[in-house]
Amino acid sequence: MKSKAAVSINKLVKEYESSGNVTRAINGVSLVISFGEFLMVTGRNGSGKSTLMHLMALLDDPTSGEIIINGQRASDLKEKEKFRLRLKELGYIFQEYALIQELTAIENVMLPAMMLTSHKNAKKKAEALLKKVNLENKMNRLPTQLSGGEQQRVAVARSLINDPKIIFADEPTANLDSFASKDVLEIFKKLNREDGITIVMVTHEPEELAYATRVINLRDGKLNEK
Amino acid sequence: MKNELKLPFYLAFQSLRRGRKWTLFFTVLLMAVAFINLIFVSALFNGIVEGSNQQIKDTLTGNVYMTPKQGTLYINEASKLLTEIRKVDGVQAASSSFQTPARIEKGTRSGRWPILAIKPDEFFDVINVSENMTHGEYLKNDDENGIILGRQIVGGEGVELNATSLRGVEVGDKVNVVFDGFEKEFIVRGIFYTNFIESDTRAFITEKALAKIMPIAANKATVVNIKSLNKNEEAVFDRVQGIDPSVDTFMWTEAAGLMKSVSSSFLSINVLMTLVAVIIAAVTTFIVIYVDIINRRRQIGILRAIGIRPYIIVLNYVILAAVYATLGVILGSLIFYFGLAPYFQAHPFKLPITDAVLNLKWTEYIARVEIVSWVAVISGLIPALIVTKTKMIDAILGR
Repeated sequence: MKSKAAVSINKLVKEYESSGNVTRAINGVSLVISFGEFLMVTGRNGSGKSTLMHLMALLDDPTSGEIIINGQRASDLKEKEKFRLRLKELGYIFQEYALIQELTAIENVMLPAMMLTSHKNAKKKAEALLKKVNLENKMNRLPTQLSGGEQQRVAVARSLINDPKIIFADEPTANLDSFASKDVLEIFKKLNREDGITIVMVTHEPEELAYATRVINLRDGKLNEK
Repeated sequence: MKNELKLPFYLAFQSLRRGRKWTLFFTVLLMAVAFINLIFVSALFNGIVEGSNQQIKDTLTGNVYMTPKQGTLYINEASKLLTEIRKVDGVQAASSSFQTPARIEKGTRSGRWPILAIKPDEFFDVINVSENMTHGEYLKNDDENGIILGRQIVGGEGVELNATSLRGVEVGDKVNVVFDGFEKEFIVRGIFYTNFIESDTRAFITEKALAKIMPIAANKATVVNIKSLNKNEEAVFDRVQGIDPSVDTFMWTEAAGLMKSVSSSFLSINVLMTLVAVIIAAVTTFIVIYVDIINRRRQIGILRAIGIRPYIIVLNYVILAAVYATLGVILGSLIFYFGLAPYFQAHPFKLPITDAVLNLKWTEYIARVEIVSWVAVISGLIPALIVTKTKMIDAILGR
């Protein structure tokens, strides 16, 4: 057990302003996620689940409060350092796959690695990861030539390319049928149990909660830990 | 860092390779049109200026010309002077003529026009009136009764100076020519049309014919015209200057007169039109690339989310813009040099001063390629910077 928390947030607040009205999407959330956890975040629509994920993955800035990722205080980091952290230590999986349409499956997976290593090494690594998510036969297909489940598995492989310590997944099964959802969740389970990767996932589906080691519930931007 | 720097090229290459081909085609076509717009106006004005300059040389003065020293009326011993001039390095041909004012009469119509007495076969080598005969034929050396008239003297429908012309003369007609104190009837051998008004208001007879009327004009000249290659004309001018101290030597530009100010006006308009074309090229390129980038806003957000730094994304779009510009310049150049220029060579713009063709100097071409390239790079840079500066989450969620 490592002493440092994977993610630690303290009194996190996120407000949105629209036409003079202030909406508080996250309302003073404090949370510690340990390394090796498979944390699922649930809650109704508009409860602030996705906003919390965006904040923890450093895709958005909080209005107030503190986020610490692997011992690094987000507010102390320069933009360049945040990019480096996202690139090397965090993986992010979007609900709608978010693949680059002009790149094949393997090219999408290689992309983040090409920031750090040679094309040859990135390709080798991407091939291994696509094999891991059972897409070795569809490496050279464009996203439009893949099913939703396959695209999401490509997105999973891409999130793993730089050996991240933490993966954030925002409703990764929302657009998938039950079989494809199971495939993705099994991959997450394996990554968590066998590779020790910390996974933070937002879900709407109660049956998916069984994969988690811990579940938290958000209601109106506030935390209800189960 | 080395790997990072390869990424924008990789992304740009894949985008060109796998992006929508029609979008790429229309983007390049738009760039090509913007480039053609930039070079066409310059080429046209160059063509007009070069064409009218060449008209002055071909139909009026040659590249260099000589006149009697101020205060004297004639160049004496013209044949001796011509012999010396023809020996000068760079001189292709030289001829002399004796110009005298005269009144030409035909029926009830008459007018005063300059008449030049020439040796037709020598004059032919310097001034190209013989190549511009629209009716009849050029003069022969021993023709003592023949005259050829410019279109503006002959007149007729569509002729610019018809009001002051003889209003219709045909080959074979007889015209009466009244010199100072002499008068002779000439037969119209031919009519010429050089498309240069100053040339087309002249008439030519042979030296032999003038010698009969004015024996004093024998072996005298009022002007000597010298032909050289355009690139050698200044050297020839320098070399022939010292041959005869009793003459004044001029470059053709000294006779350009009104054309000089017309040319200078065209150059000013050219600068103005080029500026407008640059603005059009800049706005067009900016819109094309901006629309392209806005359409990829979410993709740019995703790239940032997976750790691709903004400068790589910006560089990717700058490379794409440079590729669009390069392809646009290549396509524009092909259309210009293999489509427009040959077409206008075959069907020149008919102007009262010249038949203008498209004439683009290499220096201007290079300058305009540079302009389009810079405009494209800046037009790629600005929208890419704008999009990469927006909040990442807003770009991803399309807010």
